[in-house]
Amino acid sequence: MITMAGLIEYEKAQAMLARAGIKTVESSYVSSAEASIKFAGGGPIVLKAISQKALHKSHSGLVRLNLWTPEQVRSAYADLAKTAEKFKPYRILAQKMIHGSVEVIIGGKTDAQFGKMLLLGLGGVYVETFKDVALRACPIQKYDAQSMLSQLKSKPIIAPDKASEELIVSLLLKVSKMFESSKATELDLNPIILHDGTYHAVDLRIIE
Amino acid sequence: MKPQHQYRYQDINPIINPKSVAIIGASDKPEKVGHVILKNYVDVGFQGQLYPVNINTEPNGKIMGHTAYRSILDIKKPIDLAVIAIPAELVPKALEECGKAKVSGVVIVSGGFAEVGNQKLEDRIAEISRKYRMPFIGPNCLGVMDPRSRNDTLFLPTSKIDRPKIGGVSFVSQSGSVGSSTLDLISGEGFGLAHFISYGNATVVDEVDILNYLADDPETKVIVYYLEGVKRGKEFMEVAKRTGNKKPVVIIKGGRSPAGVSAAHSHTASLAGSAEAYEAVFRQSGFIVAEELDDLLYFAKIFETQPLTTGNHIAVMTNGGGHGVLATDALYLTGLQFPKLEPSTEKALRKAMPPIVNIAMPLDIGGEADAQRYINALEILAKDPNVDAFLIIALFQTPGADEKLANTIAQFASNSKKPVVVVSTGSTYTRSHTALMEAAGVPVYDDPVAAARSLAALIKYSKFRNKMIV
Repeated sequence: MITMAGLIEYEKAQAMLARAGIKTVESSYVSSAEASIKFAGGGPIVLKAISQKALHKSHSGLVRLNLWTPEQVRSAYADLAKTAEKFKPYRILAQKMIHGSVEVIIGGKTDAQFGKMLLLGLGGVYVETFKDVALRACPIQKYDAQSMLSQLKSKPIIAPDKASEELIVSLLLKVSKMFESSKATELDLNPIILHDGTYHAVDLRIIE
Repeated sequence: MKPQHQYRYQDINPIINPKSVAIIGASDKPEKVGHVILKNYVDVGFQGQLYPVNINTEPNGKIMGHTAYRSILDIKKPIDLAVIAIPAELVPKALEECGKAKVSGVVIVSGGFAEVGNQKLEDRIAEISRKYRMPFIGPNCLGVMDPRSRNDTLFLPTSKIDRPKIGGVSFVSQSGSVGSSTLDLISGEGFGLAHFISYGNATVVDEVDILNYLADDPETKVIVYYLEGVKRGKEFMEVAKRTGNKKPVVIIKGGRSPAGVSAAHSHTASLAGSAEAYEAVFRQSGFIVAEELDDLLYFAKIFETQPLTTGNHIAVMTNGGGHGVLATDALYLTGLQFPKLEPSTEKALRKAMPPIVNIAMPLDIGGEADAQRYINALEILAKDPNVDAFLIIALFQTPGADEKLANTIAQFASNSKKPVVVVSTGSTYTRSHTALMEAAGVPVYDDPVAAARSLAALIKYSKFRNKMIV
């Protein structure tokens, strides 16, 4: 089992992104089903178990989506805690559920030769399937961000209009700046959900 | 440890373009590498001073008719370039003497260094170079060839490899075998060479220095590069961007390992391996990536001779229906398209062409078309503002196609402000006419697909230069 030694704790990572003006979904660590219900405040939520030992949360069965009622939350919480046993120690994170039709990935890595690189692609579950991604070396300029987007086959899905194009370009520039100036060596914002003319990163992984 | 260095244009130029050359290891014995090198200098007619150096030289000895020296220190005249072709273990001493003799630069042809595990010996020569601030290319390399000054360190006999004519394409190859075989092909193509550089182990002069040199070199219009890897990534990125914004660089990357070979912690790391990182840097620098060796040649010749254009409306003219169809497919598959002709253009064409010619793209002017019909149509199309470039198909198997047609097309292309490519498919008779057009600076292709791909590469690069998103 691969563990991620340098994985930055979720709330800290979220704060790093917030400082860079990058929006993440509202979330909070919870220690009980009741706390989760309180966090939900009547809206739908997601529960995730976070563990250094689980590389891919969804592959490891550590995500429960679309929980509306207190009953759903209680049963999902109990079930998730049971599944997460084998990844101890873990914590459970509650997030507001966001609905959007398009998911993108923005990532960063450190190349042995060229240093920090930035990646944009069609995100979520499609990342590994279609591998429709564009890569650039940091620091990127606006031109690079635009050309990354236009390099993607899925551009008409991700950015069907001028406004969504500008949204992605400005987000890419923010992530590039944040990644370059931080000690982070790897970064995954995946998925970032595009919805209602804006976006929220709903899963994040920053490795130092 | 790589030595800290930054060699500029004027530091490298004496190696490429020397006025005096000492050949260390020159010999009368035909089996010696130093013999072949000296013989090549003599055979290709090097313009400057030649000094054979061989440790076994007798007093007043001569090698191939030239006064020979036991050591480079005995020459006592300014030396721009020393070519070292002696066993590896003797190289440090010879290099040290080059330093003392104030040689400007060196090519070390000899192998037997880091490539066979002898890192220590390689470190030693790097240190000597640093001490005298005397750059060298190699070791373990073919070195350089410059058709203008006829500087030629290649140990390949002139009888076995053609030497290209003078031109604007500089060809750089990390590998000697890709270098020499492609060089042979270049000679067979219609375009000419500015410089050839094969730099082997890149111990001192590496890809950063070479790109930097070629970016500033006035003879170099196009750079064609076979690259396996770089050693100074950040500096390479910088010089690559500077170069790509100045002149076209057509690159082929050897050793493309699959993405994410190591255990990756993130999606990003698994999707973005080393090959993808190189590709990203090439894209950001506007480099034109060739997928195969043929593309290097196809792209090089369009970039050497044709003007840039960001427009992608290609007028296609043909004297063969099938070739017109193939060219159309190739254009649209590479993202190019036909122009929408002005009504005035259509009207003029209708008047100038016989009734059997359908006035539409691709313009098939008929199997019996001769030079006159070609030029009539071309001149009308050239006036149409919607035409950005020309793809002219001239099949020389037809009765109307002859030397006059080749000359007509060559002349039209030479005067055209818009890019022109020609497709002529065929054998002996065709090739003699292809050569005629290429000599006049027209890129000619056997295959409509190669012609379309080359146009697409030209347009893509032009858009990069104009900061248009592609």
